[in-house]
Amino acid sequence: MIKKLSTFAIGIAIALGITMSGKIDQASASAFKLDGEPKVAMIYFSEVNDGGWTQALYEARERMEAELGMEITWVEKVPEVASQFINAAERLIRRGHNVIIGGAFGHSDAIKTMSEKHPNVAFLNPAGTTNGPNLNGFYGRTYESQYLCGIAAGGLTKTNKIGFVAANPFGLVNWTVNAYLLGARQVNPDVTLNVVYTGSWNDPVKERSAAQALVEQGIDVIGQHVDTPTPQVVAQENGIFGTGHHRDMREFADQATQCSSIWVWDRYLAPTIKSIAAGTWNPSERPYGDFVHISSGGTDISCCGDKIPADVAAKIESERQALLNGKHVFEGPIYDQEGNIRVKAGETPGDGDLWGMDYLIQGVIGQLN
Amino acid sequence: MEFLTNWLAFMPVFAAPLVLAALGLIINERAGILNLGAEGIMLCGALIGIISYIELGESSALGFIFGSLAGVILGFVFGFLVVVLRTNQVVTGITFVILGSGLTGLMGIPWVNKAVSGITPIYIPHLTDIPIIGRFLFGQDILVYVTIIFVVFVWLFLYRTRTGLELRAVGENPQAADANGINVEAYRLLAATIGGAFIGLSGAYLALAMAKIFVLDMTQGRGWIAIALVIFARWMPWRAIIGGALFGGIEALIPRLKATGVPIPQYYLEMAPYLATLAVLIYAALRLRSGQDAPKALGIPYVREDRK
Repeated sequence: MIKKLSTFAIGIAIALGITMSGKIDQASASAFKLDGEPKVAMIYFSEVNDGGWTQALYEARERMEAELGMEITWVEKVPEVASQFINAAERLIRRGHNVIIGGAFGHSDAIKTMSEKHPNVAFLNPAGTTNGPNLNGFYGRTYESQYLCGIAAGGLTKTNKIGFVAANPFGLVNWTVNAYLLGARQVNPDVTLNVVYTGSWNDPVKERSAAQALVEQGIDVIGQHVDTPTPQVVAQENGIFGTGHHRDMREFADQATQCSSIWVWDRYLAPTIKSIAAGTWNPSERPYGDFVHISSGGTDISCCGDKIPADVAAKIESERQALLNGKHVFEGPIYDQEGNIRVKAGETPGDGDLWGMDYLIQGVIGQLN
Repeated sequence: MEFLTNWLAFMPVFAAPLVLAALGLIINERAGILNLGAEGIMLCGALIGIISYIELGESSALGFIFGSLAGVILGFVFGFLVVVLRTNQVVTGITFVILGSGLTGLMGIPWVNKAVSGITPIYIPHLTDIPIIGRFLFGQDILVYVTIIFVVFVWLFLYRTRTGLELRAVGENPQAADANGINVEAYRLLAATIGGAFIGLSGAYLALAMAKIFVLDMTQGRGWIAIALVIFARWMPWRAIIGGALFGGIEALIPRLKATGVPIPQYYLEMAPYLATLAVLIYAALRLRSGQDAPKALGIPYVREDRK
């Protein structure tokens, strides 16, 4: 009898919970309201000196502390495992943090769970794919910054062959490869691009062999969208040039690296935190997350090394200005490797088309799988 | 032509760490110890290799020596646990994988992403310039040649010395070995320690020759590949070279094919070494009546008073 009663009670509780959460959903059409002053914490998935993704978030934290005049707590090496992330986030919330910033794509599901459990806390997640009334995933339009690096590569190459070491073949990597070549063509219409996908984000052995194999193909500039600086180091060893990703990779290859696509998350996060504090932040308006243009922070370039000719550097600057003014990198006509038209003349792809980009453009030598 | 030259030139670099780790595992397993912790020991070897290289005046030799010393220590601890305390070998091995990842994650952070020049290939005038096979045969780094010497040495040790025979006896039938006055525990502890040295050296090679950089969890499953390689080699040192050439050859081939843009079924190619290992297992099961030619006492702790 007691068992039955308790089942019944749980049933009612669940039903109540559902109706209650329904009410919250309706209420959330308006902006998110924070209780009290924002107290921000960042949860990184790897070590803060990883030389790439996490270090860029960490450096953004330092600049934000100065800009916002507040202390931002951080935790490193919280792996992309739900239980670990939830433990870390719970502890931070218990200590009074009400703005939690995740660290990676792999935190997406756990941060969604947390955002439902704590409707009064604001959640943000870089490269996150989940969203809600108090949660926004965000990512930078890396095709814009890599397009600018591509211009540098096009201006640097003597052999008209450039190379690219890429991680895994899906949308957000494919668009950097394609944009890189589009950029290179701005200053060098004859250039071709050889790409090697390593199938791994963080395997220096594979990255070294990929970069080495590209050098053997006669390329003389190496671009990259992988996590370690290995391709830049290989470029330096071979006396050729490279362009980095995540951060300014001159730190690792001061001679070779001439331009880097970098993350400037503070330019996006600082205004976001301000709007959370002001009560104007409304993630419900962005059900697919924040896909940040170079004009609102996210990505930018660190340019130019002394080997980039002055006219090319000027072109990079003018194209950067054009992007800031709303130019779209993938303006048609764009043809894929087989010669099929993918973006018609005068059109630009929507964000959905970008995320789903499953082709390489004409002039790319290499394959997705 | 140039493609073939380059591919052959890089094949040994990819084969060497796999062969080294497999050699260590063969010594382990011939004495009856199943060490699944290779991945973790390799990671520690990689980190200690990089640390000693950077801190001790950029000497690859010291990097390799201290990398294998790290393997010696971990191998000895593993041996002590499974031989003296008789812990479960599979569980202990997997614990060592996690331990290696955790230890290097804790201590390795200051050394992450520090590019090193590491070890460089030798150059012999004329010989290295021979088309196609010049760099393959005469343009490798020292450790590739040392690896081949090690293979010969381990084979001689296991099959041409009394100590080697006794070590194999311990792995096949520890009861009989014990009855013959062989100290089973001492042999197994020794095998675990020497095996650890090879695995640690393999990790140091990974960091100082292949990647020339250390990042966390950089072994990326290569310790497990070495374990598969032992099965492929059916516990014979010289067959590990064939396996290493196959596994390493494919790893050196894939990026080169991709860079040329030749449409290749890359995922099938990446599968090939594992399919080959499976084929060897099936071959062994069908051809050899006993099913396997693994050491009979592999993975079984020896307790003197136990009844069989």
